[in-house]
Amino acid sequence: MSSSATRWLGQTVEIGMVPVLVLVALYLPFAYFVIPESNALHLSLFGINLIGQIMCFALLALALDLVWGYAGILSLGHGIFFGIGGYLMAIYLLNGAYAETHVLPDFLQYMGASDFPAAWKIFSRLDVTILLTMVVTTLVAGVFGFVTFRSRINGVYLSIITQALTYALMLLLFINDVGFGGNNGMTGFTSLAGYKLAGVTTQIGLAVCSCLLLVAAYVGARYLARSSFGRALIAVRDDEARMRFLGYRTHTLKLFAWCLSAVLAALAGMLYVPQVGIVNPTIVSPELSVEIAVWVAIGGRGTLIGAIVGAIVVNGLKFWLTAQLPAVWPFILAGVTLVIVVYFSNGVWGSFKAAGSESKGGRQ
Amino acid sequence: MINFRQIFLTIACLVLVWVTPARAAPAAAASRAALLTSFCATDGDKAAALGQLVEVVVSPNAQDRAWAGRIVDAIRNGALVCGTGGHVTIQGSPALDAVSLQPSVAATADSPYVPSIVMMRKLAVASAEMDLFAPQQDTRSAAARQVDKFFALLDPAIVARAIKQERDPDTATVLTLALAKRGLNSNVQADRLAAIKAVAEVPSETARTALANFATQDSVRSDPVVLAAVHRAILRMDTWLSFGKVFSILFSGLSYAGVLLLTALGLSIVFGLMGVINLAHGEFIMIGAYSTYLVERLMQAHLPGLFDAYIFVAIPVAFVICAVCGMLLEFFVIRFLYRRPLETLLATWAISIALIKLIQVLFGSQNVEFITPGFLNGGMQVAPGFFVTFNRIFAIVLALLIFAATFALIRFTKLGLLMRATTQLRDTARCLGVPAERVDRIAFGLGAGLAGLAGVVLTQIASVNPSMGTGFVVDSFMVVVLGGAGSLAGTVVSSLALGEINQFIEPFYGAVAAKVVVLLMIVLIIQKRPQGLFALKTRV
Repeated sequence: MSSSATRWLGQTVEIGMVPVLVLVALYLPFAYFVIPESNALHLSLFGINLIGQIMCFALLALALDLVWGYAGILSLGHGIFFGIGGYLMAIYLLNGAYAETHVLPDFLQYMGASDFPAAWKIFSRLDVTILLTMVVTTLVAGVFGFVTFRSRINGVYLSIITQALTYALMLLLFINDVGFGGNNGMTGFTSLAGYKLAGVTTQIGLAVCSCLLLVAAYVGARYLARSSFGRALIAVRDDEARMRFLGYRTHTLKLFAWCLSAVLAALAGMLYVPQVGIVNPTIVSPELSVEIAVWVAIGGRGTLIGAIVGAIVVNGLKFWLTAQLPAVWPFILAGVTLVIVVYFSNGVWGSFKAAGSESKGGRQ
Repeated sequence: MINFRQIFLTIACLVLVWVTPARAAPAAAASRAALLTSFCATDGDKAAALGQLVEVVVSPNAQDRAWAGRIVDAIRNGALVCGTGGHVTIQGSPALDAVSLQPSVAATADSPYVPSIVMMRKLAVASAEMDLFAPQQDTRSAAARQVDKFFALLDPAIVARAIKQERDPDTATVLTLALAKRGLNSNVQADRLAAIKAVAEVPSETARTALANFATQDSVRSDPVVLAAVHRAILRMDTWLSFGKVFSILFSGLSYAGVLLLTALGLSIVFGLMGVINLAHGEFIMIGAYSTYLVERLMQAHLPGLFDAYIFVAIPVAFVICAVCGMLLEFFVIRFLYRRPLETLLATWAISIALIKLIQVLFGSQNVEFITPGFLNGGMQVAPGFFVTFNRIFAIVLALLIFAATFALIRFTKLGLLMRATTQLRDTARCLGVPAERVDRIAFGLGAGLAGLAGVVLTQIASVNPSMGTGFVVDSFMVVVLGGAGSLAGTVVSSLALGEINQFIEPFYGAVAAKVVVLLMIVLIIQKRPQGLFALKTRV
């Protein structure tokens, strides 16, 4: 395939991803309500829920690709922001459940509390919750990013530090006294913004929302990547010292990308938790954070679509294979990761694009 | 009604115990006969005689001890027959003369001495007190519990002496409490003072609590002498106990530091040399532990006589297995990812999940049980409140030895020289003919082998299962990052510091919070000094 044909194909796929995802979002309610159950194209509620979860993971991968592929910051702690979004959403849902059932969650009862902590009562409306989550995430990411990027920590050391931080957060959340449910986490959600959480329409609505949010994030990220900000980020990734000498405030650029990525991850978490129905400290485990990087690496770092495709393919395979052959999945994942990392240095999509472009790819 | 003779004899016995060394000559037949007559005579002082019998237990003469035990058993079973003219025999087939324990014939008119119910209780206590000096641990523990049950009847001097020579801390605690209960509950001031003194001799948390509770009693608060004695005793105990606590914390910090040192040593070499983040490092530790398991099973099956030495056999075996695995990993995967540390990270992560699943499939995901070698069992009480277990001492000693060996390798051998050169200035070294790729491979194998040795040590102090490695990866990376990659001194210093700090925080906030605090501390230090404490080269 000639390079121009490859390029044409690449661009079509990248732009075409948007209508494809919108179509998927539209297809979900159609597949459930209209197509009869006997038809192969019908999706059960379980299947729709699964698709919703995978879309959340794809959004998470997109967020990581924004900082890793474009700014060169390999964060192995994006689970922190995913977890912040998840836990704050869980607090909002618990508020809703309490308003309905007037029964305190178990872990609060064990702690001897007779009512919700005052700080939790703020999260009683959905719009307030969303806004506050974004603020909290920006603050946390901002503090970390400010201190770290100013000290010019990057590369391998940054990755280790983010792993350590997510490990520390997981350990902290495991302690029951900290008040976030301990190792059992928080569950028992009943309603979301007045709708019954377990209801069919709510679940389908959540899955559709996940798809649409992914589309919006993808469009926005693509626009950002093509803007001058995106170009500057790529330049920072390739040679930060040179950019600094040229007068750019590289730590500000990185900080902005970092906070944006964190907010996207938190939004993904907020959509993930109502679909799964539970949140516990494994959401901030170091293993999950490394897995996000693996999805991006397999799909193709630095190409936003690669992150989405990588996340969808890997998670789809995982859900399918762990049901059929649970003992084999880790070996398959390990094998695929090894092959792609060693032979396709830019992941599947990245290598495809590199084959189409005439110039050599940038440094990692 | 107070029996003055009893009290006088008891105090006399106490004085005898405290003042004179227990060097009883073999009890002559005459004194034995005299003892036995007390039991048989209707107005004989049986309690005192019993006390003397128990005294015989602490005599160095084994024959006397055996005789005393025999007599007490005989009396309890109602087998002591009192004959006319002071001739005492023990029933049985054959009947024995009570003094010489030789076969004898009892006259049919002789009637056995039947002890009263009170006497039976005293005999039970006496029997238990004698068992307190038995060589078997179980006998002593059972005897201690018996003594505790009848604390009002025990002999303080004997029990105090038993506590002094007791090696097992649990038994000693039980005896101390029994002593405390007896003396403190009595109404006689002398008894109370003696009990306080006896309890103060064996400081422990439980004894201190008992004394503190005792001090709040009204009868004590109204008696200034006893109150003063209690406060002095508590003060003395507190000093001992705080010493014990500090040493305990220092020691557990040292053992935790030893574990950290072992797990981080290999990582430091590899990371410093090649800049490779090896997320499979924890899995090498796990492979080392499972190699030890294999060695243990093999030796149990084929060389049971040498079973206790399995841990020494496992050391070279685990080293070789893990070094080979490490070199294979380097050859097949890592060397293609040269100068791509982020890809190496992902590749090693993939290897780690595959290894975990492989071991899970081969050995199951349950914890694997290890039989501790005989010489590593138990421990010793160095000071009150400070108990050291032998397996932790072994871990510390082994960690130091392995570190010394690694240091010698790096500092004094040619291979170490080549490794240091390649770490510091790789390209210059290659220009001078150093085969950097081969050095990389050997160093990676060395790092993996050291992780395997850490696994061997960990089999004795931590639980072994396929995912045990994941808990050590983040910690060992933190040690390496803080100490400075590639620097052995840095690894030692940072593991010591982290181990001790962790153990000092733990009593206040718990183990998990201590870990979190230490992690955050390291992150903050790294912000200020990214290359670590002892950096071979700045690597920001």
